[in-house]
Amino acid sequence: MNIVVCCKLAPDAADIQVSSDGSISLERAEWIIGGFDLQAIEAGARLAEASGGKLIALSAGPHQINNSKLKKDLLSRGPDELVLVIDDVLVNADTAMTAAVLAQAIRKIGGVDLVLCGEGSTDLYFQQTGLQVGERLGLPTLNAVSKIESRDGKLVVERSLEDEVEILEVPLPAVLSVTTDINQPGLPTLKEILKAGKKPVTEWTLVNLGLDLSFQNQVEVIRTTAPHHAQRKKIMISGAADEAVYALVVYLNKEGLI
Amino acid sequence: MNKDESRPMSADIWVFSEKPALLDELLAGARVLADHIKGAVAAVVSGPVEKTEEAFERGAEKVFWLGEIKPGFMVEDCVPTLAHLAAKEKPYGILIGSTRRGRAVAGRLAARLNLSVITDVIAFMFENGDLQARHMIFGGGAVRVERPVSEMILATVGPGIFNPLPLTPGRKGELQIPDFIEPEWRLTLCERKIKPAPAVNLPAAKKVVCAGRGVAKQEDLALMEELARILGAEVGCTRPLAEGLGWLPRERYIGISGANIKPDLYLGIGVSGQVQHTIGMSEARVVVAINKDGEAPIFDQADYGIVGDLYTIVPALIKALKARK
Repeated sequence: MNIVVCCKLAPDAADIQVSSDGSISLERAEWIIGGFDLQAIEAGARLAEASGGKLIALSAGPHQINNSKLKKDLLSRGPDELVLVIDDVLVNADTAMTAAVLAQAIRKIGGVDLVLCGEGSTDLYFQQTGLQVGERLGLPTLNAVSKIESRDGKLVVERSLEDEVEILEVPLPAVLSVTTDINQPGLPTLKEILKAGKKPVTEWTLVNLGLDLSFQNQVEVIRTTAPHHAQRKKIMISGAADEAVYALVVYLNKEGLI
Repeated sequence: MNKDESRPMSADIWVFSEKPALLDELLAGARVLADHIKGAVAAVVSGPVEKTEEAFERGAEKVFWLGEIKPGFMVEDCVPTLAHLAAKEKPYGILIGSTRRGRAVAGRLAARLNLSVITDVIAFMFENGDLQARHMIFGGGAVRVERPVSEMILATVGPGIFNPLPLTPGRKGELQIPDFIEPEWRLTLCERKIKPAPAVNLPAAKKVVCAGRGVAKQEDLALMEELARILGAEVGCTRPLAEGLGWLPRERYIGISGANIKPDLYLGIGVSGQVQHTIGMSEARVVVAINKDGEAPIFDQADYGIVGDLYTIVPALIKALKARK
């Protein structure tokens, strides 16, 4: 079974800088593999290994994704190869543009039996990519997949919805988005990290994919600002444990909480 | 999307959700938008015919009834029918309830119509006549305002954004029953299990004691449980404790992909305060934080903070609270 796992490489939200006017900057943020994608990579690695197939990691984004540390990090987690689609037009790509680019890259890779995506991207978490890629490829597609078993050339999957669980038989090829509790990815071993540097990386542009560069976002980003937080009192209670706790109990009592 | 130039775009707002309560909320939200652009509100309903009557009574002027869901079919199998209908009728926008199923319907519909989706909208505004939508990104670390520039607007909206309109018993409207289009593919449903009701309903809790990564061992959670018992609180946790360590069930995890809580009291113990977590608790009335790292971001979002070792502070707090009783 040849598998493609789509990963979002994005600035780490923990590094957001908020300026006094409420605008935010990610200039200094480190770029990371989306935390919700690690489970998809792990699921792909396990299925590829069990079936003797290949796992290809695929990511699309602006020039920042072309970063040797990120590429090595991705390849040390199980994929045999990495394909990057790099174009700065993708910096604020809407869900349609992202899906169109990934679907086209998957067509170009060819011979893909299964596409896996994480639950959502680490930065935007729109939870749309897998579904839109699947539909654009005309393939069976599902989200919220919490278990995958390969059985007689088909997959039997568990899908966890809000108040029910479905067990579904999925013919291949298919596109699945997995939940964060499908597995618990471990840290890459030293051996995997050393091997990662030797694995093939392919870099494509939108032109290589035969995509029309004039295609436009359908959603214009007007502004991004820090959320308005409730004003907090920010009272720091100091002193020895007993004194601090006593002060806290007094405050809690005053708030009508105890 | 497929353009049928003979038919101009309508000013109608459509709503779709498989969850009746969420559909009622979307109808109320659609009403505000439709009034602004002088259009009508239409509900797309699949399932028992009674649901169409409810939709009229909750404010729909038009209902497209996709029929009963046949045995072995899923809600999502309506996507080809819905896409065909939308391409023909050209509504101004479609609001879809943001459940997992709803997100699947929205995404697949968008791909068919070559549209994008604005997900989990928390507010719609009109600016100089243009519709804008606001939603959270960066795990709640930022709010983004977006303007759809496509012909038709697709958006998902979660529960709690709009208040349902009062029921008008006997209210009727225009019922349309479009032909069902067989999907190109269907999945075999082997089994459907109703999830047991979760042991805890954190969003309904008045007080929550939240354990974070500062808790060293699973056994130490007993301390948080004892504190919660005395306060009459529920125990929640940050993502690593539920996913990864597996110390607590997933329904106790507070944060972007977990529970969203609005208690009177949130007491974070050993919680650092990453945005992915704080998005789930930022609407608590009173926030208390106990953490040994005085630089932890949680203190910026706390009303009362104690910098100290939780293994000293929490037992002292338990003792002090017990002494009051």
